[in-house]
Amino acid sequence: MTGLRKRYGATLALDGMSFSVRPGLVTGFVGPNGAGKSTTMRVILGLDAVEEGTALIGGRPYLGLRRPLNHVGSLLDAAALHPGRSGRNHLLWLAHAQGLAARRVDEVIELVGLTSAARRRAGGYSLGMRQRLGIAAALLGDPPNIMLDEPFNGMDPDGIIWMRGFLRSLAAAGRAVLVSSHLMSEVQDTADHLVVVGRGKVIADAGVAELIAAVSAGRVTLRTTAVTHAMSVLAQAGATVAAIGRDTVAVSGLPADRIVTLLNASAVPFSEVSAHRATLEDVYLELTREAVEFRAATPSEVSR
Amino acid sequence: MRPALHAEWTKIRTVAGPLWLLLGTVAATVALGAGATSVAGCTPTGCGGDTTRLSLMGVYLGQAPVVILAVLVISGEYASGMIRTSLTAVPQRVTVLAAKAVTLTGVVAVAGTVAVLGSLLAGWLILPGPGRQALSSAEGPTLRAAAGTVLYLMLIALLSLGVATAVRDSATGIGVVLGLLYVVPIVSQIVGDPYWQRLLQKIAPMSAGLAVQATTNLRSLPVSPWAGLGVTAGWAVVALSAGALLLRTRDA
Amino acid sequence: MTPAVTTRQPSQRAGHDGFLQSLHAEWTKFRTVAGWVTGMVVAALMVVLFAVLAGVSSDQKGAPPVPIGPGGEPVTDSFYFVHRPMAGNGSVTVSVSALTSSIPERPGDLRAGLVPWAKAGLIVKESTRQGSPYAAIMVTGGHGVRMQDNYVDDTAGLPGPVSAAAVRRLRLDRSGDAITGYASADGTHWIKVGAAHVSGLGATVQVGLFVASPPVVDGMGTRGSVSTATFGDLRVQESAAGGDWTGDQVGARSPSFAGYPANTSGSFSESGGRFTVTGAGDIAPAVRETLPTGGTLGEILTGTFAALVAVIVVGALFITTEYRENLIHVTLAAGPRRSRVLAAKAIVLGAVTFVAGLAGALVAGPLGERLARANGVYVFPVTPATQLRVALGTAALLAIASILALCVGVIVRHGAGAVTAVIVAVVLPYILTAVPFMPASVANWLARVTPAAAFAVQQTLVRYDQVASIYTPYNGYYPLAPWAGFAVLAGYAGVSLIVAAVLLRRRDA
Repeated sequence: MTGLRKRYGATLALDGMSFSVRPGLVTGFVGPNGAGKSTTMRVILGLDAVEEGTALIGGRPYLGLRRPLNHVGSLLDAAALHPGRSGRNHLLWLAHAQGLAARRVDEVIELVGLTSAARRRAGGYSLGMRQRLGIAAALLGDPPNIMLDEPFNGMDPDGIIWMRGFLRSLAAAGRAVLVSSHLMSEVQDTADHLVVVGRGKVIADAGVAELIAAVSAGRVTLRTTAVTHAMSVLAQAGATVAAIGRDTVAVSGLPADRIVTLLNASAVPFSEVSAHRATLEDVYLELTREAVEFRAATPSEVSR
Repeated sequence: MRPALHAEWTKIRTVAGPLWLLLGTVAATVALGAGATSVAGCTPTGCGGDTTRLSLMGVYLGQAPVVILAVLVISGEYASGMIRTSLTAVPQRVTVLAAKAVTLTGVVAVAGTVAVLGSLLAGWLILPGPGRQALSSAEGPTLRAAAGTVLYLMLIALLSLGVATAVRDSATGIGVVLGLLYVVPIVSQIVGDPYWQRLLQKIAPMSAGLAVQATTNLRSLPVSPWAGLGVTAGWAVVALSAGALLLRTRDA
Repeated sequence: MTPAVTTRQPSQRAGHDGFLQSLHAEWTKFRTVAGWVTGMVVAALMVVLFAVLAGVSSDQKGAPPVPIGPGGEPVTDSFYFVHRPMAGNGSVTVSVSALTSSIPERPGDLRAGLVPWAKAGLIVKESTRQGSPYAAIMVTGGHGVRMQDNYVDDTAGLPGPVSAAAVRRLRLDRSGDAITGYASADGTHWIKVGAAHVSGLGATVQVGLFVASPPVVDGMGTRGSVSTATFGDLRVQESAAGGDWTGDQVGARSPSFAGYPANTSGSFSESGGRFTVTGAGDIAPAVRETLPTGGTLGEILTGTFAALVAVIVVGALFITTEYRENLIHVTLAAGPRRSRVLAAKAIVLGAVTFVAGLAGALVAGPLGERLARANGVYVFPVTPATQLRVALGTAALLAIASILALCVGVIVRHGAGAVTAVIVAVVLPYILTAVPFMPASVANWLARVTPAAAFAVQQTLVRYDQVASIYTPYNGYYPLAPWAGFAVLAGYAGVSLIVAAVLLRRRDA
């Protein structure tokens, strides 16, 4: 997948969204509701039209692909099934649409662990089973690109662990994997790269480690029984301090070793000085705060 | 196109609904035709009417399951959201619609043939001598009526598919199609001016299309048999084109 | 919330309140979906639109006026009349020795045929003006001797056909407005057939012989006929001599008169006291078949069919969208008494449809009638009570049909299936009755047992035993009385409501 750039609709669901997804990595696609994640995916798949911009897969637009499932596997809505058709038959028609043999259907069913339920009516599947069926459909054409919209939705903890491993193994096999999610912990444990979006725009496009480092930059957590004393000492030395707990202080503006020296010099007791490690949740909140506020002010702005 | 066709065929054969609806078409067509012929009141000298048409009258009812099937083929996918999967698998939307149309027409042709042959057989068994003769002569008009009825059912399927593609909701789609089929002939009765009345009967998809069933009194028809079927075909083409256009331009 | 109240306090009041809340909830649901409200408006507009179409599409301007009888009803008053004036009271007698008819299939085909309601006899009539009051005694082709007056009244006399071997003698006595008819098989024993009170005859009436020969029912249409009768012993007892006999075709140009078959015409000849009279036409109330250019209120309200499709779609969607979107879970959680939820839905839907249908029918009926009349179309007259019945009946028909769609929607839980089932059940039978090659027996059976029987509420025409015609739903004659036909539909709706309530209660939502 190469660069995407598009504006969309009078409501500006996508306002110059532009990013790329690289092979061999799991790219997390995160943002608040209505930021344009699903719309972007539908645009990539040629389902929704855009006023401006193009979405290319391997340099070609989706609509120009002859056997699209051999290029991109996707899962948009796991519930989009005919309830009366068995899971295997659902995959079968998809396979036939790509000129694939029925053997491939059984392979992907095996791959996602649905063998025992494959011949039952899909209407009776749990949401987790539907997600697995959707993943199977995405893998049908053995595509180099995989795009999944909220694949963790409705999965039990076992399923989530399976999914994490599965996504990583897909990337490890050299595929480009784009996963949208609002479960930040899942993306943190799964993704190598993050695209954070808000208001139809990309807010951040960087590696997970970089992003966390950027948000954590220069912040140190101090654990002490003499909070007031510590704060006044560090503030005098030019640091920005804030009590974040009964015995915890967040310090920025001073490196950790300088803090230790200052505290020792002033005989302030402390039990721990650690570089603050932001979670992806922090990153997410920090980056999307503006977008959330915007959305709250005009709730009717974007519906999907 | 071939993989798309294969996929549509797999879709239609892997759920139970279409088969039941097609069986419903056969059953409704034969049953109503048999019912009508059995009360026709034939005398040994003749049946005082168009026996072929009477035997094939069941399509008035038999087309209803065809309409449901054709509407559901597309609106069912809209209801579940599966249409996105379909369009992801085959991004050429018109190809998807065309594949659906071909598959649908094929299965309706098979069911329609069974229904028509069953109706004629029932008529042949029920009617006394003269009516039987009119039916068993497999020449000209009877053959045209039989083949035309099958074609009519196929065209109704295409018309329904087109309308359903345009409106997307199944209940609304069926309401529109059945309204078009059933209400226009009723409305034409109240139009006082004979010219307009005949014109309405000429352009209504059901009354025009079923002119193909007439084997007697051809001159009194508002429209000639094949021309009438052509009118129904026109409706199907317009509906399908509108459906295809909207399918192409709308976000899925 | 409602359920808590109703389970804790099993008093009637609480239950009543709960039901009102269910009604309110369903009403809110209904009015907040733009598509459903539009559907109802469309239904009402359809009724009006097609009434306007029916009104403006016909042009009968310049057509001769339809004869109207003393009772205000349209009549056929076209026959061959050998007459002379008779002043004051008096009596007239005649013998009839033959009545033969023919129903030509082609010009010149004068083979004898049976016209059951061919009429030949004596008549006392105010004038030769069409629609004027009269009383008559006659022999008929297949119904024996009859005494008839003022078009709608009919009394049977001596049975059996007339022939040279079975001559029938007929007598009419006038005494003021009282006309008495007698018949005799032998000329000595006179049997009173009937007495009629005919007002408006005036002092001097026209008396004489008449022959009428109405079209006969042939398959699914009618064919013209002509009849000839032989009379003898014509005697008039009167206070003053009346003058010569003259032969006239009454109502030669009348919309209710189909005319003579090709190469035939009305005539009379007299030789040695024997009168031979040939005539066509009828003296009878007009029916739909004799007034093909006329219109009925039911036809003006044809838009009901289009409205039906709209309300059926809305009725089915009112419940099936809840199944599709799983809103039904929310609905049933808010009101766990499922049959009460169904009842609330039915009442809201029925009430909205009724109001929309009534508005449509009340506007459409008078508007369509006015437009049609302005275009010279004769509209069969109806009393205000009938007009109201048709409007209320149309609204009720639409309301019940939408409730039927709702219930079928609950049963099949699928919008497409419900819409098809109800349209096929309600509209298709009517179409089948209108199929030109459909035998009347089948048409009447369909109009008796299927939900389409309910269209009888739009019936404004009256069926007359003394007029042979095609009395089919297509022509506006239903085999069931208006509200009886409606009851058939209501029965279907009632059964489906019960089945729906039971299924709703038993099934997992």
